[in-house]
Amino acid sequence: MPIFLYIERATFIHRLHPTVKVFALLVMFWSVYWVDHPLALLPLGLVMLALAEFTGAWPNFYRLRWLFILVILTTTLAWMVFYRQGPALINLPLIHLSRASLVFGLGRGLKLAELLATSVLFLSTTKVEEFTAGLARLGVPYRVGFAITLSFRLVPLFIDSALTVVQAQNLRGYDFNRGGPLERVKRYVPVLIPVFMGALRKANSMAMALEARGFGMSRQPTSFIDYPVEPSDLAATVALFALGALYFMIYYTGYGAISPK
Amino acid sequence: MKNRNPAPGAVGAAPPDNKVAAVAHDVALEAVGFTYTDGERPALGRINFTVAAGEMVGVMGASGAGKSTLAKCLNRIVPEFEGGAFTGVVRIGGRSLDGARVCEVAPRVGMVFQDFEAQLFSTNVAHEVAFAMEQIGMARGEMVRRIGPALEAVGLAGFEHRDPTSLSGGEKQRLAIASVLALSPSVIVLDEPTTDLDPEGKAEIFALIRSLREQGFSLIVIEHEAEVLRGADRLVLLREGEIIAEGAPRDLMTRLELLEECGVHPPDLNRVLAKSGIAAHGASVDEAEALIRRALPHLGATRASSASTDEPFRDAAPANGANPLVEVRALSFNYPDGPSVLDSIDLRIAPGEFVAIIGQNGSGKTTLAKHLVGLLHPTAGAVMLNGRDRTAMRPAETAAEVGYVFQNPDHQIFAATVEDEVAFGPRNFNLAPDEIQRRCDEVLRAVGLQDARALDPFLLSKGERQRLAVASVLALRPRLLILDEPTTGLDYREQRRMMALVTELNREGIAIVMITHTPWLVAEYARRVVLIRRGRKLYDGGVREFFTRDELLASSSFRAPEATELSRRFGTVALGPDELAQWLRAQR
Repeated sequence: MPIFLYIERATFIHRLHPTVKVFALLVMFWSVYWVDHPLALLPLGLVMLALAEFTGAWPNFYRLRWLFILVILTTTLAWMVFYRQGPALINLPLIHLSRASLVFGLGRGLKLAELLATSVLFLSTTKVEEFTAGLARLGVPYRVGFAITLSFRLVPLFIDSALTVVQAQNLRGYDFNRGGPLERVKRYVPVLIPVFMGALRKANSMAMALEARGFGMSRQPTSFIDYPVEPSDLAATVALFALGALYFMIYYTGYGAISPK
Repeated sequence: MKNRNPAPGAVGAAPPDNKVAAVAHDVALEAVGFTYTDGERPALGRINFTVAAGEMVGVMGASGAGKSTLAKCLNRIVPEFEGGAFTGVVRIGGRSLDGARVCEVAPRVGMVFQDFEAQLFSTNVAHEVAFAMEQIGMARGEMVRRIGPALEAVGLAGFEHRDPTSLSGGEKQRLAIASVLALSPSVIVLDEPTTDLDPEGKAEIFALIRSLREQGFSLIVIEHEAEVLRGADRLVLLREGEIIAEGAPRDLMTRLELLEECGVHPPDLNRVLAKSGIAAHGASVDEAEALIRRALPHLGATRASSASTDEPFRDAAPANGANPLVEVRALSFNYPDGPSVLDSIDLRIAPGEFVAIIGQNGSGKTTLAKHLVGLLHPTAGAVMLNGRDRTAMRPAETAAEVGYVFQNPDHQIFAATVEDEVAFGPRNFNLAPDEIQRRCDEVLRAVGLQDARALDPFLLSKGERQRLAVASVLALRPRLLILDEPTTGLDYREQRRMMALVTELNREGIAIVMITHTPWLVAEYARRVVLIRRGRKLYDGGVREFFTRDELLASSSFRAPEATELSRRFGTVALGPDELAQWLRAQR
């Protein structure tokens, strides 16, 4: 299974300047942040689906389809427990199923799913090197930017390692699901210790390999990839500003809220 | 005359600016000593070590002998990165490295590590090669100019846009070498670069090392298999941080006892010659054959084509008994939405068998083994354990039939003491304390760790941790033990010790399934070979028969051990130096 989400395509989105892509990520987060109502979130969701189609990112969305479904369903259900507003449509012991709790829960679920979708879209169309370059252009120190992007590479490796450790302990008869919630957390110690030790070893090996490749010699390394600013980057930046402003206006006017101001 | 420091093409056309002309040695360690912060003894004890310009030096020794510490001194990882007390001077191209940072040495000394996964940082091959050049601030045009030749030098031209994670192990390691070459260093250090590779990957790397040598790079290659360092100009043998012998391969490789004492695998050809009373170095199978024929002129001229497999040596056919321990029926498997990984595999394993499963990386060996133990479920077909469908068995029932030892022992070790680690499995099955204690005593004695029971497992050596992993699985008393690459990362002494343990377990009746890439392990220990290629079983039969199937060997990128290859020149098939020497003595 590939450890990166990046999918090589020659689309307009793929060709955008890394800084514009990082800016787009921030604007999408910004826009999703300001609104709560599913109807206000829906256009953003549709834009993301269209972009997934346009950029060929569907395989990644498909890979993560259960995560999206889980996020939307569990969040919607969870808010039916905690958001006890409006007259109940059906009386259940724990769940308060009302129009208001359904709308609020669905809004929260969509919000999380759209944050996830934005990240998937970004990683599907942006190489980790571009991410580093984009962060550097935004003033983030190279070492910090590199560390952030390296974490994208390390996380799948650690997940893979954790799965192997779980398998190894399962084969020795270990049941991770025994006991109550606290007991279950404690029962992950036989996984956490080998994964943590493995991560330390891997991090140490990588740090040595990095330094041996000259990492740290220059505070601002040169870039193999040339990132010229094209008219399309300017157009995209303007469109993103407009989107960000529009969603702030939707929030400001109260149209994005569950209950209008 | 060797061409001085020319990486091929454009890479070589841009010699580093920091070169000092007319230096006698590219590398010089003068009384270099190093003791790690928490080390009980010096990892290196004031050694003097030199490498002439364009020379290839092989450094050998057991785990902990100081090989990697020596390598790390060459680019300042020791003492800059690793904490400890450093003494002496390291000179590269005549210049002292005193006070230099690791990154500053990178353009002069290229370092290739054992763990190729930890050396790759980019999303495509071209960018990976450019990474080091970016770090030293090279202009983009120069980078573009160097990438093509560097990739061409390692045989990866045309791979520029590939994702490094999609490459094979050998290709990844060659990519790591290309990224080093792109900086055009004068010295390249390779620290056990083939440990995690299959035979094909190993062959690729050593072919590349030969090519680099011809191009005039100064090379330092660290290995614990003497055989692969025959092409070196000079060998250095380390023990406990000291250089205890050095010389030409021809001289050092005939000192078999010394090599073994130092945890180095002596060349099998020389072992055959020595055991046959021929005191000489066989630099190749051809040369060893000529030496033997000269000593035993009456031997016939029989060649491999007529090699007999009817010798009275160890061999075994596939299990066809009525009650196999494991029966795999038409097993097919693919991950969801993924291509086929296993395709209609049939396999029977009888109690007490010793089976080697071999095949290239990604062929499906581990996937097959994971089905036996229930970590994966068949897409089609079935796995029967002792006549019962494995999917219908509880974990405790499966664990009593099959144990699985992962390649990396650190994937399971977590307890505070060795004894607790072993007791973990039996406790999970709620065995009585007396029974748990009895099993711990029994298996710790079996793996030779009875005196280490109170120690922290993380303080053990890699070999000891591997034996601890075996012990903790054995404590569940499986009837079949699956070992995934049980000797990876171990030195020769540790490998032999591990295999002696496995052989003893097998002798006591435990069936063994060993996944391995190492030809001599298959030849000397297994009694049956199962070859998997692209998810299909291509061969299932005796070991001796397998090593006579030249087309099969070639197509699966496997090779017979040199002793076996040599034996076939005389019309027999020996599964190791001892067997061949015995056969030769009988011919006198």
